[in-house]
Amino acid sequence: MKVSVVSRSGREVVRGGVELKDSAKVADLQDAIYAKTKKYYPARQRLTLPIQPGKSGKPVVLSAKASLSEYCEKGSGSLTVVFKDLGPQVFYSTLFFFEYLGPLLIYPMFYYLPVYKYFGYEGERVMHPVQTYAMYYWCFHYFKRIMETFFVHRFSHATSPVSNVFRNCAYYWTFGAYIAYYCNHPLYTPVSELQMKIGFGFGILCQIANFYCHILLRNLRSPSGNGGYQIPRGFLFNIVTCANYTTEIYQWLGFNIATQTVAGYIFLVVAASIMTNWALGKHRRLKKLFDGKEGRPKYPRRWVILPPFL
Amino acid sequence: MAGVGSAVRRLYLSVYNWAVFFGWAQVLYYAVTTLLESGHEAVYAAVERPLQFAQTAAFLEILHGLVGLVRSPVSATLPQIGSRLFLTWGILWSFPETHSHILVTSLVISWSITEIIRYSFFGMKEAFGFAPSWLLWLRYSTFMVLYPTGISSEVGLIYIALPYMKASEKYCLRMPNKWNFSFDFFYASILSLAIYVPGSPHMFTYMLAQRKKALAKAKAA
Repeated sequence: MKVSVVSRSGREVVRGGVELKDSAKVADLQDAIYAKTKKYYPARQRLTLPIQPGKSGKPVVLSAKASLSEYCEKGSGSLTVVFKDLGPQVFYSTLFFFEYLGPLLIYPMFYYLPVYKYFGYEGERVMHPVQTYAMYYWCFHYFKRIMETFFVHRFSHATSPVSNVFRNCAYYWTFGAYIAYYCNHPLYTPVSELQMKIGFGFGILCQIANFYCHILLRNLRSPSGNGGYQIPRGFLFNIVTCANYTTEIYQWLGFNIATQTVAGYIFLVVAASIMTNWALGKHRRLKKLFDGKEGRPKYPRRWVILPPFL
Repeated sequence: MAGVGSAVRRLYLSVYNWAVFFGWAQVLYYAVTTLLESGHEAVYAAVERPLQFAQTAAFLEILHGLVGLVRSPVSATLPQIGSRLFLTWGILWSFPETHSHILVTSLVISWSITEIIRYSFFGMKEAFGFAPSWLLWLRYSTFMVLYPTGISSEVGLIYIALPYMKASEKYCLRMPNKWNFSFDFFYASILSLAIYVPGSPHMFTYMLAQRKKALAKAKAA
């Protein structure tokens, strides 16, 4: 089978095209493209079918596991695909690791090191118990995230663009430093002991619930990464579509109740709005996929992310 | 029913655009006449009220974009109007020491010429359904001169105001307090200067892209 590989502007990416067996899969084509170009490894490639002239709509993205013959015109022995370079890629585990490593290291720096000297605060700093517990809570949270990255999560996409590393790290590390600055400040004013206990107690409970949600999500995906969307079931997923995000938001709420900083609440609002967008998208997709027609199960009525508001 | 809503929208936007146009026309008129009569030191006192009215009224443009009354992306209007409101109230109004500086004159003249063209362009489109080609050309060409002069004046005035901010500690919130929050206008302003570094080229290239698109469309018509 002869496959032409062109860019969106029509330029030939692989001169002379690629010759493959009729039974070849898309993954074989990707390997062949990499062998010829020496630069565009499979994870960087986005292959689509050409858009027919005068026809609109989104182009068909080729699935790596599919056979090339699926995309051929009936009886035709050739195929043209449109190639797009996604840019350098990193594994999601790498992305997540560096996202979370930053806050894990930065926060304790504000607790242990005399960094406030550079902000004009001389002399000894008296730590309140809540500041110590906040540091433990924070580090437990991000340590948990790193462990989940390597031992719990299964990723639908194998890789992410490198540019996301800088954007995501900027987000996590900046907020980490911002919150750490206020939580460990020499002039920090603690809340009452009861409020601290309520906040941290509630927060820990939500962190544990969040972990269990991640276990449930992990079990939705088979180890091979096969299978598309599934209806999550069990525990809080019976009530909320994105129970993992719900528990994530609530655990930050608990942290903020105990520590009471404006910086922490700003982070909570930003994180909640980001996760709400993701949750709305996921909820919409699940309802569309599981519409109860043609033998498909119907998606049950559920809140999206934050009952009773949304 | 759709017709009535559309008519009300057009009427509202016409009134809005021409009202703000009038505000900016006043700014330019007072700035130029005062400059010629009394010198640049007196310009701020002459334009203060119409400037504050016209620039603050621009805040409504963000709302127009948010509710879908106009098709401007909030990502473009927000930083520009935000920076101007910051200059108008946060720098000029808050720090009288900046009033006599010559950059005030270059600032208000750059802003007012840009806005007179822009609001009359919008006003024409909403009131009459079209705008003359020379106005379209001005709309998408004058920024090439006026953005550099306007932005330079903005950055210069923020820089000039910094020592007065530090000395006065205006708009500063200190710890300790129950919400464990602090704010320092001096450092926030330095941060805003830092944002101008990537922000200005972005706005300029955005306008260049708009120009290419708009003039190409006009040529095709």
